[in-house]
Amino acid sequence: MMKRKIRFNLNFINTYRCFFFLAIILFCGLFTKKFFTAFNIRAVTGNTSLVMWLGMGFTTCMIAGHMDLTAMHMSTMGALLCLGLHSQSGLPWALAILVATLSGVAIGLINGTLATKFEIPSFIVTLGMQFVLKGLMYIYTGGAELSIGRDYAFNELLNSAVGPLPFSLYFIITTVAIFLVWIFLRFTRTGRNIYMVGGNVETAWLAGIKSRSVTTLAFVISSTGCALGGALNGIYSGAASITMGEKGISPLMIALTATIIGGTSLSGGKGSVIWTWVSLIAIGFLKSLFKKTEQQVLVIAAILIVCIVYETLAQYRRSKVVGTRPNLHNEHMREIGKA
Amino acid sequence: MNGAQKVDKRKVEINKFSLIFNKLGIYVVVLLLIVAGVILSGGQFFSASNIQSILEASALIGMVSAGLMFVVYSGNMNDMSIPMTMAMAGMLTVQFINLGFIPALLIGIASGALIGFINGLMIGKFRAHPIIWSWGFNLLLSGIVRVVWQGKQLYADTVAKPTEFAQRAANTFYAISRTYLTSFISLMAVVMIVMFVIAWFIHSKTSFGQKLKIIGTNYDVAKFSGINCTKVLITAYMICGVCAATGGIFFSALRKTSSYENGMGYDFSCLTTVLLGGVQLCGGKGSVIGAFGGVLAYSILNNILSWIGLDTYSKYLVQGIVFLFIVWLNTYSNRKLGKA
Repeated sequence: MMKRKIRFNLNFINTYRCFFFLAIILFCGLFTKKFFTAFNIRAVTGNTSLVMWLGMGFTTCMIAGHMDLTAMHMSTMGALLCLGLHSQSGLPWALAILVATLSGVAIGLINGTLATKFEIPSFIVTLGMQFVLKGLMYIYTGGAELSIGRDYAFNELLNSAVGPLPFSLYFIITTVAIFLVWIFLRFTRTGRNIYMVGGNVETAWLAGIKSRSVTTLAFVISSTGCALGGALNGIYSGAASITMGEKGISPLMIALTATIIGGTSLSGGKGSVIWTWVSLIAIGFLKSLFKKTEQQVLVIAAILIVCIVYETLAQYRRSKVVGTRPNLHNEHMREIGKA
Repeated sequence: MNGAQKVDKRKVEINKFSLIFNKLGIYVVVLLLIVAGVILSGGQFFSASNIQSILEASALIGMVSAGLMFVVYSGNMNDMSIPMTMAMAGMLTVQFINLGFIPALLIGIASGALIGFINGLMIGKFRAHPIIWSWGFNLLLSGIVRVVWQGKQLYADTVAKPTEFAQRAANTFYAISRTYLTSFISLMAVVMIVMFVIAWFIHSKTSFGQKLKIIGTNYDVAKFSGINCTKVLITAYMICGVCAATGGIFFSALRKTSSYENGMGYDFSCLTTVLLGGVQLCGGKGSVIGAFGGVLAYSILNNILSWIGLDTYSKYLVQGIVFLFIVWLNTYSNRKLGKA
């Protein structure tokens, strides 16, 4: 009888680490006062919704093997455009949101074209585009804060709870949008192509995928989502300034952290929008565990660093085992006639 | 095999414009900018106060760029942990001002070297993603600084004990950014130029610079030809950290305060100057002399924008567009030259 060594495959812990992370945070919440109240849950999920849009965009670009640093400024621009067009120019909400979303499409197209057609690294393109957007916003607003004026109906609608659930409508809209993007990425041909381009551009191109337009599509999804989410967030919170959502720590940083905790591969081709969404909820609750901003920043940064170091060491160990030329040993053995 | 022998028919003729831009383009740009500045400012461009302000503005960026150049040259795109390296060095220098001015300065610079060492270890040895690692490390450092000092601002004269020795150290600390050697050359500009000369020596006269060139051009080739890549990359990052720390100390002395947001935006502006100076993003191409030209061009451009009368916010737009244009020109001329 063969002696079988029983091995547990513990890979699933790493793959689904965002769910364990959320579970740990919720478990810690049991020992905190006023944690599991409907008010706290509604506030946390509502306030995290903006970052969820950013995380969705960032993850989509990361899956395609690129980075989109414009996400944060794109959402702020969406909010400012939407509020400005409604309260200053007097457009109805629907039209204002539409214009804000279209600006996202335009910026996404520019980003994608610069990154694919002109072959500039996407990190550099979006880094420069950040400052262009910042300058545009300062010119548009003059540095002032914009508010929704006296029209509170839509604001209250977004803030109100949906039925008996302890969630605001804004959070529900965000969740539905993220699930739609997940379905698009997971179950349609174009969505799968984004994964394939992220995994290996050349293989994808050889397999007949128009890799440039697919990559551009990822940028467009990211920018559009961020602009739409920013516009809704502007209405949700009633006001928008150029540093929207920046409470001691940049929202883009939180989106990056969530993307990496969620398990999206740094080189692209692997990951899921849902994982990012789950880890963002966890980060939102984590923030309500700690009172001071300084502690929040330190804890979030520590988790991010642990994840990066773990991924890097795993990669390093794999490269040590596999080597840069895995067949070298076999070739050598064949040459000396031992195989 | 029968049939005609294959002839390499790829582009042979080289675009002259790209060639000139690649070699010493940046000094042509500097000259054009100076001419534009003289016209726009109505002859006041060469006044002592204007030259003084240009040199002061370029000094801080120049100090950091001299170090960042090595990181970009080694093919690692950008060191995103520069802002917190600057802030950390300023904080530590002010915190230890009671030990005397020179020890405090050394502690500040040593912190920069330590941050550079950790960066180099992670990126050079374990091959972490250079941008994501240094960005995450920047966040971690900012968390540490905020928790340790509780988000406060530090002032050297209040941190220093009321003894004569400590007060003199604090005054010396404030004075380093306000010393002028002649009527318009400040000490900061001299330090910047000295750092560039040292960087030029390291880059072009030592074997380290040659090894760095091979690593930047092709990491695998460098590894298989027996270069100790880990050691070289750690050295490159340590140079970057030391330069950023020096810049941070001068910055906090100039502002008279040190806080966690001291170096914000320097990662972007220094990358702009380095790329403006013709150092290639893909690594292995460029020179320190070019990077110095980039620093000059950037600060003269900023000066001219002030002469035109643009406010700080519109400058963001211009800087972003200039940055995108320069990066595009870099990649474009490289492709035309057949180097990429």
